[in-house]
Formats: sequence, structure tokens, C-alpha cells
Amino acid sequence: MNDPAAVEHAKQEPRAENDLHRPAIGFALAGAVLAVLVIGVVDLPRAAAALPDIARHAMEIALPKWGQNEVVSEIVYGSRGWDTFGETFLLLAAVVSVVTLTRSPEPRTEYVGESMAGREEQQEVDPKGGGESGEEEQAREAEANEEDGKSDLAPNSDDLPLGARAPERAAGMSVVVRVGARIAAVPLGVAAFYLCLWGYTPGGGFPAGAAVMGVVLVMYTAFGRGAVSRAVRPTVVEPIELLGAMAIIAIGLFGLLFKDSMFANFLTLAVPGTIRAGGTNQLFSGSELIEVATGLTIAVFSLLGMKHDWAPDEDGDGDGDGAGRGSDDERRRKGTGRESDQEREA
Amino acid sequence: MILANYIAAGLLFSIGLLAVLTRRNLIKIILGLSLMEASTYLLMVSMAYRRHSTAPVLTSPPDGKSAADLVHGNVADPVLQNFCLTAIVIGVAVTAVFLSAAVRVAQHYRSVDADDMTALKG
Repeated sequence: MNDPAAVEHAKQEPRAENDLHRPAIGFALAGAVLAVLVIGVVDLPRAAAALPDIARHAMEIALPKWGQNEVVSEIVYGSRGWDTFGETFLLLAAVVSVVTLTRSPEPRTEYVGESMAGREEQQEVDPKGGGESGEEEQAREAEANEEDGKSDLAPNSDDLPLGARAPERAAGMSVVVRVGARIAAVPLGVAAFYLCLWGYTPGGGFPAGAAVMGVVLVMYTAFGRGAVSRAVRPTVVEPIELLGAMAIIAIGLFGLLFKDSMFANFLTLAVPGTIRAGGTNQLFSGSELIEVATGLTIAVFSLLGMKHDWAPDEDGDGDGDGAGRGSDDERRRKGTGRESDQEREA
Repeated sequence: MILANYIAAGLLFSIGLLAVLTRRNLIKIILGLSLMEASTYLLMVSMAYRRHSTAPVLTSPPDGKSAADLVHGNVADPVLQNFCLTAIVIGVAVTAVFLSAAVRVAQHYRSVDADDMTALKG
């Protein structure tokens, strides 16, 4: 390593030295964890073990205390209602994180207007407006057009005459898929609500919410983003999600108010197996359906609809392999980063 | 042989951990984390299993038996089934957070190689 060129090369590509020790350490750690896990699971209760006391207790109180014959739901919304409340707000926190990460940072004119305020300074520092190549400008333009509904995509793949070659790019799939999706969406949607409201009453808001999101995804696949985004608008879905969250909080607080503990049942118990069985558990399950269905839909559509927000391709080769980006240190060394421009300005 | 399920869960967890430790591609790291998550579902459902048991539902008792008999009967563990149910939904949301962060990182660094992300390196 006395050759200066070799030393410089090693500095620029530190990963080359790590090629061997990374798998070695990885295998050693994963192997050690596996050994600990195997030793641990050997002593776990097996298929012939008696049920734990907590499970037996849940079985015993499901009918007399909650008036429902589906014990898993009784645990989710009754015995462990407080834990489920925490998990629901973990889901809400995850959705808020996704929305925060995926929304474009600029322009936020309705709040502070920093993009307008800093326009002159930005023009001085970066006269080309982000140093975009022609290809990137085209991509941004295409994205803006798609948002405005002026996309060059064919709305559906069967807009052309019968027998003609299918379009290269189309927003929606063929008529067969679209009709199939329309037909499947109705029973799937009904099944989701049935799962929540009636399946051994109360059923499961969690799986039902996931099924509702599945219906939305089927429609997205068949009809494209443009068609579905008219219905799945953040301004509509986000308030609905927050209403679901508020309903869950209200159910917990009413339990505290009327029965001295959070999520205690304060409604009259109906006959087990009917739609009003389970007391407040049915309300909790319905609110959970709203929360999970809208939360997962927001998360998935935020990911699918992420804006074109790429950093400038500084090496200009357009391959996006990060070869010319590297760390901030590398960028300063090369003198191509925006920080270097600002330093020169200073 | 439910022990085989337990060991398979441990193996899946270790494979996921191996992917997290040895892969540099962010998407593969997220796949590893999802695999670790899935291994816990397998473990919980396996731990809930009881030989010759029924679902923990107190309805339709067989002839000559009441719902009270079902309460003390041989059923699968409902508490662990409940853990698994909520863990799946939370897992989907957390994976969405990971993927959003990965897309943002890719847009910022124009790379999904963890070795290129050195902004916080001391």
C-alpha cells in the first residue's frame, strides 16, 4: 500500500476492504442468535401443554362479561382493549411518518412560503434550478402533466380499435381486467364489512380494514392511479382516519366515565351471536375497521404517489447509481456540491 | 412435532438478521426486517396450537354439551392468536415507513447502497 495511487483508491472505496469482514461478522452474529433462539424455543410449551391462565380466563369471561362467543375478538377489544388502543396509535404514528416522509417539502406557500421568499437567493446559488439535465426536466414535466390530468398515457389499454397493437403505456388495464375488478370489488367489500360486523359478532376490525384496503388496491391496479385518486384523496381519507381514532378514544373515555376503567363496557349486552353482541366491543371493532382501512390506504397510496424529488445527478451520467453522489465529504472534495458553491459565494 | 415450527421460526429470524447485517442494498435490508417480523408470526401461531384442539369460539356446541363445556375444552390459545393479528397490521405499517424512508434516501443520494449514506458518519 505504499503506492500513493493505491492509497487514494482505498480511501475512495472503503467498502472494498469490508467485502470479507461484513459477511464473516454477519454469519457469526446470525449464527449466535440462532443458537440462542434454538436453546430458548426448546423449553417453550408444546402442543400438549395446558392453556395459560390468561387464555383460560379470557375463555371464561367472554360470554358472561362481554356477551360474545368469539374469544379472540373479546381479547382484542375487551381484555386487551388498552393494549389494542396503544397498537392503534402506533399504526397512526406509522401512517403520519409515511405521510411526512412522502409529501413533497416544497412549495408550502399556504404555511410559510419559504420557496417564494428564497427564490432570489436560490437563483444566485443555482441559476439552472437544481442543475437538472434535460432528461430530468422531461421527467418532472411528465409528472406535472400526469397530476394535471394531461398525461400522454392512454386512459385504458383498449382505447384503440380491435386488433390494433396495445399501447406501450396505459393508465388502466384491459377491459377484461377492469370488468373483473368491478365484479370482484363488490363481494370483496361486502365480505370485509361482514367480517367486521357479523363474523361471530363482533368480528375483526383489523382484518376487515386490511380487506377494504385490498379492494382499493384491486381498483388501483385495474383502473390506474388517476381514476382511484379521485376517490382516495388525502383531504377525504385523512379526516375519516382521524374520526376513527377519535371514536376509539371516546369509547375508552366513556368506559372510564361510566364504569371506572378505560374501555370497560357501558352498553347493555345483547344476545350473543347477534349484531349488537359484545357491547362496546362492536363499536371498537367498527372504529378499528375505519382506522385500519384508511390508515393502510393512506400509507400505501402515499408510497405509490411519491413525487419526483430527486437530488441533482451531479456526475450527469443519468444512471442514478450513486457513483457520482457519494458522501458530503466526497462532494466537497470534488467541488461539485452545492455546499461548495455556497462556500465560494461566501 | 411443533418444535420443528419453533426452530423454523428461529431460522427465519436468523436469515432475516443475516440479510440485515450483510446486505448493503436498503431494499434487501427491509426484506430482511420483514422476514424477521414474519418469523414472529410463525412462532406465535405455532405456540397457540394445541393437539386435537378447536378454534376458541364458544358457539355450536356438540350434542349433549353446552357453551360452558367449550370454555373448559381443548382450544387453541386465543391470546397468542390476538397478538399475531395485531402484529401483522402494525408490521405492514412499519414496513411502509421503512420503504418511504428508503425511497427518500434513494432520491437524496441517488443510491440504495447503505455504504453511500455517510452523512452521519463521525
